[in-house]
Amino acid sequence: MTASDPKSPDRFRLLATFIAGRSVDVAEAPRGEAAHTNGQLVFVSAGRSVAEQRREMLIQSALLGAGSLDQRLVKALRARPSVARRYLALEGRRVLAELAGQMPLAATLLFEEEPSTATADESLEMARGRAKVAEPPEWFGVIRPSRLLATSAGPGARAADEELRLEFDPIDLPEADDDDDDGEQSGESKILKLFDNPLFTSRTVSDYLRKMLGNSHSPADGTAGAEMQVRSLRRAQEVGANARPLPTRIRFTDDGKPGAAVGVGGALYPEWDVYNDRYRADWCRVIDFPLTVAADVSAAGVPHDDVLRRRLARVGLGPKVLRGRADGDDLDIEALIDLFVDLRSGYSPPEHVYLERRKLARDLGVLILLDASGSATDTDPDGLAVHDHQRGAAATLAVTLEELGDRVAVYAFRSHGRHAVQLPAIKTFDQRFGAVGRARLNQLQPSSYTRLGAAIRGAGEILKTEAGTPNRLLVVLSDGFPYDDGYEGRYAEVDAYKALEELRTDGVACLCLSIGAATATDTLERVFGSAGCASAATLADLSPQMDELFLSSLRELAAPKPVRG
Amino acid sequence: MTNSHPNAVRNGSEVPFYRAVGDEVEVFRAAAGRGLPVLLKGPTGCGKTRFVEAMAHDLGRNLITVAGHEDMTSADLVGRFLLKGGETVWVDGPLTRAVREGAIFYLDEVVEARQDTTVVIHPLADHRRELPVDRLGTTVSAAPGFQLVISYNPGYQSVLKNLKESTRQRFIAIELDFPPVETETEVVAHEAGIDSETARALVKLGNAIRNLDGSPLREVSSTRLLILAGGLVAEGLSLRSAVQSAVVQVLSDDPDVVRALGELVDGVLPRA
Repeated sequence: MTASDPKSPDRFRLLATFIAGRSVDVAEAPRGEAAHTNGQLVFVSAGRSVAEQRREMLIQSALLGAGSLDQRLVKALRARPSVARRYLALEGRRVLAELAGQMPLAATLLFEEEPSTATADESLEMARGRAKVAEPPEWFGVIRPSRLLATSAGPGARAADEELRLEFDPIDLPEADDDDDDGEQSGESKILKLFDNPLFTSRTVSDYLRKMLGNSHSPADGTAGAEMQVRSLRRAQEVGANARPLPTRIRFTDDGKPGAAVGVGGALYPEWDVYNDRYRADWCRVIDFPLTVAADVSAAGVPHDDVLRRRLARVGLGPKVLRGRADGDDLDIEALIDLFVDLRSGYSPPEHVYLERRKLARDLGVLILLDASGSATDTDPDGLAVHDHQRGAAATLAVTLEELGDRVAVYAFRSHGRHAVQLPAIKTFDQRFGAVGRARLNQLQPSSYTRLGAAIRGAGEILKTEAGTPNRLLVVLSDGFPYDDGYEGRYAEVDAYKALEELRTDGVACLCLSIGAATATDTLERVFGSAGCASAATLADLSPQMDELFLSSLRELAAPKPVRG
Repeated sequence: MTNSHPNAVRNGSEVPFYRAVGDEVEVFRAAAGRGLPVLLKGPTGCGKTRFVEAMAHDLGRNLITVAGHEDMTSADLVGRFLLKGGETVWVDGPLTRAVREGAIFYLDEVVEARQDTTVVIHPLADHRRELPVDRLGTTVSAAPGFQLVISYNPGYQSVLKNLKESTRQRFIAIELDFPPVETETEVVAHEAGIDSETARALVKLGNAIRNLDGSPLREVSSTRLLILAGGLVAEGLSLRSAVQSAVVQVLSDDPDVVRALGELVDGVLPRA
């Protein structure tokens, strides 16, 4: 997620990273707190001017970059605020002078007097001593040893090597199978160990029990190469924050028939909790079911959009050989023969005799996900609600794509708390978009709320399993205002963003169209990224660039990822 | 600063300026002596094309350059029949021309081309040194000076687009990277026609952007970008606005990243 406020301290991110020599983010500290850093984030004082924040960021990043805040040094400052303050005054001046040699910006902040120390250790020594040290200027901020020492392995950190290593507890290892009489090698039985008396070493009780119970393994314990035993697998108590929980399928039955037979499906999906930096497994129940309300077929009219059709027809994803072209790579022998037959018989047709390969093959599956929540009910000056615009757009898009031979499905989404996220299917991939389907779409009434992330995950799953095409695109028609019970603001935005990221990883492209909504496009841009989202008053305004939108979101999948050196 | 005499657009006939960083010139010469095909690796704008130009000039051979793109077919390289009047006429493609003339054939960004296209260079890249032209039913053997050079950018392509192992193993590889500060300063100063103080500031900025940890940028500031920025300075633009147009706005479209880069540039460039 990125902040779009031009004054946000996020703008210093790259400069801070450069000065610190490692990836560092910049954020505003809570009001009233002085600038400080925890090693990963540099906090600058809230509500100051850009220039003031810049120098605060500069000194804190420079301290990081010069290694003045290494664990070794910071440990000595713990619980000694006066030493930390003197150290900051000395080190701040030192690193600033050091940085000034490389960076003209630092040179402008330089003090008149020379720094009195040459290394961090010397500064620490002097800070501990009794020599007089000038107070650090206010913009130096503070050093917070506790925060610097605490962040070495926070949540969300990658798993370290020792955590990934597979280790067996020797007590849990399946023991080798031995003969009864080979008592020496089979070692002590664990059960018998319980009866061992630590006070006197008489083995009578244990011998008695051994005779009675025998010393062999139970028959279930296999030899080497046998089936793996249950106890040799260990259930992990915690998974890392990087692990993504898989959706848990819900099984429905209807009169003894499985739900899938009547088109009902569903699963429990995880949700990303931005505040705790982890997934909440099985958090949202998403159910998709066919919409079966009775619909008035007379309202099945769908406006056609020729521009949209022409544009979408241009979306080509794979090469296709065209015959009888005016130009191309190869001669089309058949066309050539025809041409010569025509020429000999006294007729001169145009010389279209080449084979051409062009990107025309589509193989595209599109799932149109329509926001059917109550948040889409605001009306525009013409009395049409946002929802009316979106419905119309969904219908036009679906009809156009179907005519062009793509696999299309139309699902609506709404939610009422995390246990009731509904994806009513207006048209599944295998249905024709007939009059009844169109009428149902046109008469869809908005209700409930928008749990965008869960809806995207649910729709993505449908797209992945049912589209059956190599190129898959999820088109979300929404006003971009995710809101549900316990689901709003930053939490909702980050969860939706995360859901889209998961889909892209799985090879599904995403595009968001916001039709008729006047506000909150910045939310959409934050969630979908500026390339994956477009908004306009009507669909017709977007039609002329629809091919570009489709292609750019599909291309994003094949786009090179930045390489981290 | 002495940037007042703009270095006008040069014509292409003069000696290409290339400053060797390692032993790449010797390796290339040795490969050319044996007619071995060469694979150049390196990031965008680090001087791959310029290196080949300089070597072709040095060896006194013609250079035929083709940029790979994903719609490129083997006919684009080998040649095709065209219809002229009542008959078909064969027209050599650039590769066939290079094979016949004994020129250096430089295929830029080879992985962009489809894999069925890249296999046409296989017979040329091993001991056979010949090009079968199936449409003509003949095989053209390479003239003595012919040499195949391909370039590719290992970091830039997606996983789907990688060089086939059977293609790779026919080549000797030369890795090029951004030159060290001194050399790059010299290159920027020479190419853009600016004094070395300005060039040094640009190179320092370029290195600052390249070495960012966890950078949000897809591509870093290449030598080519720095030369472009230097060119603007030579035309009388201030250093800051030149860098803003030639580096910052080029590297990203994201307003947040542009702003953050702007801060970095502002911090690193000398004060006016």
